[in-house]
Amino acid sequence: METIIEVKGLTKVFKTRRTELIAVDHISFEIYKGEIFGMIGPNGAGKSTTFAMMTTLVKPTGGSIMVSGLDVEKEDEKIRQKIGVVPQQHSLYPDLTARENLELMGNLYDVPKKLMDERIDYYLKLVNLKTHSDRFTGGFSGGMKQRLSVICAIIHDPEIIFWDEPTTGLDPQTRQAIWKLAMKFNEEGKTLIFTTHYMEEADKLCNRVAIMNAGKLVALDTPENLKKTSNSTSLEEVFIHLTGEEIRD
Amino acid sequence: MIKEFKQLFRKKVLVVPLFVFPIVMIVFFGYGMGGSVNNVNLLIVNNDMGVSSNALVQELGTFIPKNSDNKMFEITYTKDMSQSEAEDKINSAEYKAVLIIPVDYSDRLAKNEKPEVTLLTDQSDTTSTGIIVETMNKILAKSQPGTILLTVPDLYGSLKYIDFLTPAVIALTVFFGTVMSTGYAVAGEREDGTIVRILMTPVSRGAVIFGKTIHQLILQLARAVILILAAILIFGVTMNGSWLLVALILVIFTFGAVGMGIAISAKSEDMTSFQQISMLFTLPSMFATGVFFPLDSIPDWMRWIAYLIPLTYANDAMRIVMIKGQGINAIAGDLIILLIYSIIIFSVAIRIFRREV
Ligand SMILES: Nc1ncnc2c1ncn2[C@@H]1O[C@H](COP(=O)(O)OP(=O)(O)O)[C@@H](O)[C@H]1O
Ligand SMILES: [Mg+2]
Repeated sequence: METIIEVKGLTKVFKTRRTELIAVDHISFEIYKGEIFGMIGPNGAGKSTTFAMMTTLVKPTGGSIMVSGLDVEKEDEKIRQKIGVVPQQHSLYPDLTARENLELMGNLYDVPKKLMDERIDYYLKLVNLKTHSDRFTGGFSGGMKQRLSVICAIIHDPEIIFWDEPTTGLDPQTRQAIWKLAMKFNEEGKTLIFTTHYMEEADKLCNRVAIMNAGKLVALDTPENLKKTSNSTSLEEVFIHLTGEEIRD
Repeated sequence: MIKEFKQLFRKKVLVVPLFVFPIVMIVFFGYGMGGSVNNVNLLIVNNDMGVSSNALVQELGTFIPKNSDNKMFEITYTKDMSQSEAEDKINSAEYKAVLIIPVDYSDRLAKNEKPEVTLLTDQSDTTSTGIIVETMNKILAKSQPGTILLTVPDLYGSLKYIDFLTPAVIALTVFFGTVMSTGYAVAGEREDGTIVRILMTPVSRGAVIFGKTIHQLILQLARAVILILAAILIFGVTMNGSWLLVALILVIFTFGAVGMGIAISAKSEDMTSFQQISMLFTLPSMFATGVFFPLDSIPDWMRWIAYLIPLTYANDAMRIVMIKGQGINAIAGDLIILLIYSIIIFSVAIRIFRREV
């Protein structure tokens, strides 16, 4: 299988005035082209920080990351052209219309005008927002914003999609819709990387799952293998088994 | 690149507060205020052949206004200077006032004729001028009751307090407006997460800052032009100088203010803390920089603060251009100081932005 992301000895230390916090602690893994890769772990495990480093938003303290053959340290602008990141917040401009939000992103990614218009129409239809395309997003419902936010992140047709907690706090219907969308992107050949709190989602949808705890990578395998090795029936059990029972916040 | 940012800035601008605020301020403070001035740099051009003028000069040198402990005038003496040379001294702000005592002063007094002295003052500062002229009349009357005539030529046309106020209110408005709207944009985009989305695109952080700066420059210049035109049309304010120089001052000044807005908002966690921190920086500028009253009329300690604040130099330059109608040489000093300030603030801002956002 072809490797699309290669993480080696990745470390991130946050220095505050008095303390040093090791958010990510020497983790190494590979992500294969075309797979759906899930990251799970308790709050504060370092998932978002790992994401931020892979997406060039935060500079690693140590280690290296190659994305699609490019080094995050040196070729971050080229990497950003190849990846799409769905932010945790909806992150839309409320005083622009849905179409204008999409056009803005398309322009920032230098998508040619004609191609951009085609994609905008295609994706607006795909997420059922076609009829709302000329409304200001300030008046959109949460679900509508969520859907628009997703297609804003992929208007430049990225190879890899990063998605931090796509379904947290959503109702089951919207979650279902988001997953359908994710599957659709994956069928188009895009590699999907996401974090989630919902074990059954990871279990059902991911080709492989990485479990993080306290900045460390504690397990990485297919859901089936993870369950087999710890003799569990669900991923939830594997998770508790590996990360302990105490509650974190 | 600029084209790409256009959409970003196509947000609906709140026109009312943008323009109403400065106009209210002009009207509100426009009714002048009295007070005293001290440490006025006065040049006495004494061309008198006789000795009668000595008494007058002495009187001026020791004059202490009521309610004050300080001498009103800081005097330099010279002679044989023409009126146009003296005007240059005022234009270049070397002196606040020049008193010209004519060659026949003693002569005329001896012959019981009325001698005529000429007082040139920096009339771009209407408040100080009023006080200086009034004081001068008093001293002359005391020295030779009813005999000396005082001529005060209008150097820049007839001016009112509002002429003094307007250039500075425009600088102040541009400063406030830039810090606030840049800050709100950055703090707002941080709060709703859109800035992360923008930073995820291949556009560099430098370009994001560049876009914001260009946007502010255009917005603020347009605003300044509209305000000056409104002031001219509604209040009959004087505009003696070059629009191009006004633009130059404001461009340099806005540049620094954008930096300040970015720096403060990048440092603050959210909207509310941005408002509080920015007030801390902007309010002193409003009161300590001679917008509403001349710097000569404020206490020394306050004046020293004023010299540390960039707005002081923008005000000064704006007045020199708009009222005195002077060219670039007269404001070169102010511009250099503003430029240094702007470059420092801006580079600090870029650094903070790169680190914090
Ligand atoms: N910018 C930051 N400054 C300081 N500490 C941070 C920062 N971002 C994250 N952290 C800390 O790093 C740790 C990992 O956080 P995060 O990656 O968000 O975890 P997760 O996404 O798995 O919940 C947490 O303890 C968090 O408080
Ligand atoms: Mg997280």
